[in-house]
Amino acid sequence: MEVTGLGVSYGGHVAVHDVSFEMASGEAVALVGRNGAGKSSLLKALAGLEHSAGNVIVHGIHCHHGHGVAPIAYVPQRSSARWELSLTVAEVVVAGCRARGSRWRRPSAEDRDRAREALQRFGIENLRDRPVGALSGGQAQRVLLARAFAQEPRILLLDEPFAGLDSVSATTLSDSITDLSMRGMSVLCAMHELAIAREVFPRTIALDQVIIANGPTPLVLNAEGVEQIFVGSVMSKGRSTP
Amino acid sequence: MTPVELIIDPFQTSFMQRALISCLAVGIAAPAIGVWAVSRRLVYLTDAMSHAILAGVAAAALVGVSLVVGGIAAGLFMALIVALLVIRVKVPEDSAIGVVGQGLFAVGVIGVGLLGDPRALSHVLFGNPLTVTAGEVAVQVVMAVVIVITGWFLGPVLGISTFDSTHARTVGVRVGLLDTGLIVVLSMVVVVGLTSVGVLMAITLITAPAVAARLVVPRLSHSMPLACALGSVAAVGGLLVSYHFSLPTGPTIAVLAVSEVALAALATRPWVHRGESSAARPAGSAMSAV
Repeated sequence: MEVTGLGVSYGGHVAVHDVSFEMASGEAVALVGRNGAGKSSLLKALAGLEHSAGNVIVHGIHCHHGHGVAPIAYVPQRSSARWELSLTVAEVVVAGCRARGSRWRRPSAEDRDRAREALQRFGIENLRDRPVGALSGGQAQRVLLARAFAQEPRILLLDEPFAGLDSVSATTLSDSITDLSMRGMSVLCAMHELAIAREVFPRTIALDQVIIANGPTPLVLNAEGVEQIFVGSVMSKGRSTP
Repeated sequence: MTPVELIIDPFQTSFMQRALISCLAVGIAAPAIGVWAVSRRLVYLTDAMSHAILAGVAAAALVGVSLVVGGIAAGLFMALIVALLVIRVKVPEDSAIGVVGQGLFAVGVIGVGLLGDPRALSHVLFGNPLTVTAGEVAVQVVMAVVIVITGWFLGPVLGISTFDSTHARTVGVRVGLLDTGLIVVLSMVVVVGLTSVGVLMAITLITAPAVAARLVVPRLSHSMPLACALGSVAAVGGLLVSYHFSLPTGPTIAVLAVSEVALAALATRPWVHRGESSAARPAGSAMSAV
């Protein structure tokens, strides 16, 4: 994936400015930054959900402004879904199959097979008939990953998937991300859990409206780098305030 | 008179047979799409829309065009004005719905008054299935079939976009178009119920059976048939009770539908099962992880 000059604005407020980076097939990249740094805006722009400036090219195909978004799967923050609705796990996962073919049709037998494969991949086939409202946080996150996997994407965008997970669930999720990466899927993951970023993601991009660091995770997230990302940017913004 | 005769005898006359079909049409169609109005938290919008539709119906009657067209046009017009007020003028959504719904309702009351028949307003507001004609029943049945098929066909895509509209957009579902389609179908339901239960009571058949079904059946996909069954029971039961006790039919049907919610709540006692899934917990603090 090649991103050049990406920018997102809401009215007069610039959320993301002139962001450019590349990701190779099978690369797992952590996206870090303080709250309000533009991480979610960047992911939504890449997923075609926000109107944005710049270009996003995946395997030579322009995937921008909602056109040809099929190679990119976006997993929103877990809290954005309405878990109290009593859909089953299978009904949620089969939704990923709508990325191909007609969006309005009822799920076909082929869709259900693909959803079953996705459930098996993430070890939750036994939960297929369970209402999503009865899931733990870790199970719910795996359901969302399975839904994205059912889209058969080349690039997976994750928005804070580790938030609110216990250590066991976080480890399971980390293993799933590593597995997807090893199978050739590129993963860009917005997150605040720096210990997990150091352990799972070889590369890290630090964002504060613009990219302030992009490189090997041990270098970007050393003590000095963390201070610059989370404290330095806040201090500089504080100083610039009249 | 035996209980069976109490149920069968009223339907010996042709006007009661037409009333039965008319009430069943709205009793099945309203909950079929009502489960989505309830799930997508569109009940207040639907309630206001049922008021606003009076303006379209009155205008259609005054100029001599189809009441169905007038009703749907009024529903869409209201949704458009609400959207403009919310997006462009930055009026809070509930305020916009309240203002536009009541404004169009007032226009509708004036319009119905211009029709010259003093009973017309009461018929439109509260319905009177005993006066429906064979032609009106045929239109109601056709519209009810269209509504139920639409609700069934769009069920999966409505389900996934209700659960997570952000993801639905990423896989190409046009959520705005889906919402517009839902508003059109809800407008059709109000129009279907116009002559049998009236615009004010139609909202009760849209919401109450759907709420009762959701209490009884946990799975969203299973609640639609149960809601339709409960709507049918309320419609037929209300018609019979109103016949035997000389009560207004529309409000009697509405009272039975609301009673189903009370019975479902007493039967399932949802207040006993407390607790929240950790799946719905909000994301954690950012700086706490540094």
